Amino acid sequence: MGKVIVVTSGKGGVGKTTSTAALGAALAQRNERVVVVDFDVGLRNLDLVMGAERRVVYDLINVIQGEAKLSQALIRDKRLETLFLLPASQTRDKDNLTPEGVERVITELRRVFDWVICDSPAGIESGATLAMRHADMAVVVTNPEVSSVRDSDRIIGLLDSKTLKAERGERMEKHLLLTRYDANRAERGDMLKVEDVLEILSIPLIGIIPESMDVLRASNIGSPVTLADARSAPAMAYFEAARRLAGEVLPITVPGEKRGIFGKIFARRAA
Amino acid sequence: MTKMLTDARSIRIKGRSFLAVVLAPDLPFDDWLVRLDDLAARSAGFFLGRPVVLDVTDLPIDRAQLKELITELAGRNVNIMGIEGGRPSILGQGMPPALKGGRPVSDEAVAKEPIIELRNSEPKPSAPEARPTLQSIVIRDPVRSGQSVIFPEGDVTIIGSVASGAEIIAGGSIHIYGTLRGRAMAGSLGNASARIFCRKLEAELLAIDGIYKMADDMAPGLRGHSVQLWLEGDSIMAEKLI
Amino acid sequence: MTIFNLFRKQRSAPTARERLQVLLAHERSSNGSDLVSVLREEILAVIAKHVQVDSDKVQVKMDRDEDVTILEIDVEIPLDAVSQAA
Ligand SMILES: Nc1ncnc2c1ncn2[C@@H]1O[C@H](COP(=O)(O)OP(=O)(O)OP(=O)(O)O)[C@@H](O)[C@H]1O
Ligand SMILES: [Mg+2]
Repeated sequence: MGKVIVVTSGKGGVGKTTSTAALGAALAQRNERVVVVDFDVGLRNLDLVMGAERRVVYDLINVIQGEAKLSQALIRDKRLETLFLLPASQTRDKDNLTPEGVERVITELRRVFDWVICDSPAGIESGATLAMRHADMAVVVTNPEVSSVRDSDRIIGLLDSKTLKAERGERMEKHLLLTRYDANRAERGDMLKVEDVLEILSIPLIGIIPESMDVLRASNIGSPVTLADARSAPAMAYFEAARRLAGEVLPITVPGEKRGIFGKIFARRAA
Repeated sequence: MTKMLTDARSIRIKGRSFLAVVLAPDLPFDDWLVRLDDLAARSAGFFLGRPVVLDVTDLPIDRAQLKELITELAGRNVNIMGIEGGRPSILGQGMPPALKGGRPVSDEAVAKEPIIELRNSEPKPSAPEARPTLQSIVIRDPVRSGQSVIFPEGDVTIIGSVASGAEIIAGGSIHIYGTLRGRAMAGSLGNASARIFCRKLEAELLAIDGIYKMADDMAPGLRGHSVQLWLEGDSIMAEKLI
Repeated sequence: MTIFNLFRKQRSAPTARERLQVLLAHERSSNGSDLVSVLREEILAVIAKHVQVDSDKVQVKMDRDEDVTILEIDVEIPLDAVSQAA
């Protein structure tokens, strides 16, 4: 049985879709079977970031409405054998995303894949709560900036109350992914410090992704950044985060800082 | 006309008590509304989704004035669930229902309660509650933005932080072993001896027994420190804990 | 190869522009009723009229280009279904 991960944030534009694609590809590059699922009905983006926009025939809503089989809607990545995309619908209404339908699709995907990574829409409405509903773990994408941190806090509250895991009284595993981290601004003291964000949100950190042109370049050519330029700083940070997701314990690299210093403080893994 | 009852199920009627915020406006309403707006502006969303009762006891107003006040309040997203102390002549259709027998839940009032009960001609369906002993709850997780902990029965202890946009409302004292970034309202049922303790003060709003202090009014020297707050007369006092 | 081409290779913005042009051209021209999904449904309906196919055995693939859209429909028809229809 595969693991279901929701990539969520509350606030929009913080890097959920970028992170879903990068983490999904990074795990598939380890030869694990991965499907990335776009829950952003009406504003689908994941197909573009994955470079599969010309190949979308059916989507999640078609599957939920019974108009297509899951196997017909899954798009296999052209570069990685084990990476698949289940796109969202761009034309249908998000009301078509029913709880029963989502449950059916996730259960089926979980049987076939090692990792089911759900790209949540922004906000705290039904789209976001449905995306997190069946998750075993959550990646909370946060920018080091006050409104993003507060929204993440709100989302963590929802993860602890609105998910199946929470309703069963189990603990949802939550991981903080700090994105768009600007080493220069951090040095000048113009950005929330990593420690501050960690103290406020009090969930374990799985990675710090630097603000980088490489991310933009990768999305321009339609490739997850871990595939577009595996040696770039954001790609390396995503590889590290993927390894932590898979259970490895590694020291955290803070962009622009010497490896390891931070690691001693934050490498601990808590649920 | 008789109607056959085909369904054997009965209708269940239950009693339930809620804690409502009571607003007691004074005249002239325009001035009072200005003060209300000031409070609301400094504590956005305070009345949102809360049951609010309007206390108009002894106010020399007519129905039109009351109606206008309710409209003004509705425009501020303050929805009145009932009116207390209104003469029958000013109430009526399209108005929130008249409420009787509401009791302020301060300590003294609890003691006086039997008198109110005696005035009630109808027999009370349930035996009068014994005076509850003060209770307490302990919350071992951080309180996240958007969450509220409401515990009118007594003290609240949080082992963890209270996020910006979260709120704690306690009938008794509030103890926070973490950073208080959201709102804390102690003594919410009229307990002036309630206190607020926190390991690190970054609060958006503090209140004890209905007396408020906003982030801007707090002495800057207290920010970021371990602090306790209590009430002396009508002002909130604070001191650093070692 | 000209210098111009060399530069083009390294820049990602032109790629982005081209991808978007293709995509938006398709999304705009379809104005709500997606031609591809109409075709897809009708083709499948025609096949279903003559042979009974398991919808699991139908693969629909697409590839869009500036000039052409390739809609590839791969139907696995079981032997007995063919004989029945015949
Ligand atoms: N590390 C980064 N460095 C530079 N740009 C980034 C980085 N991460 C994300 N971006 C850019 O930020 C923008 C928003 O990213 P993305 O679409 O992944 O966010 P999102 O959280 O999915 O947004 P939405 O809430 O709208 O779905 C994109 O233009 C993306 O290229
Ligand atoms: Mg997105």
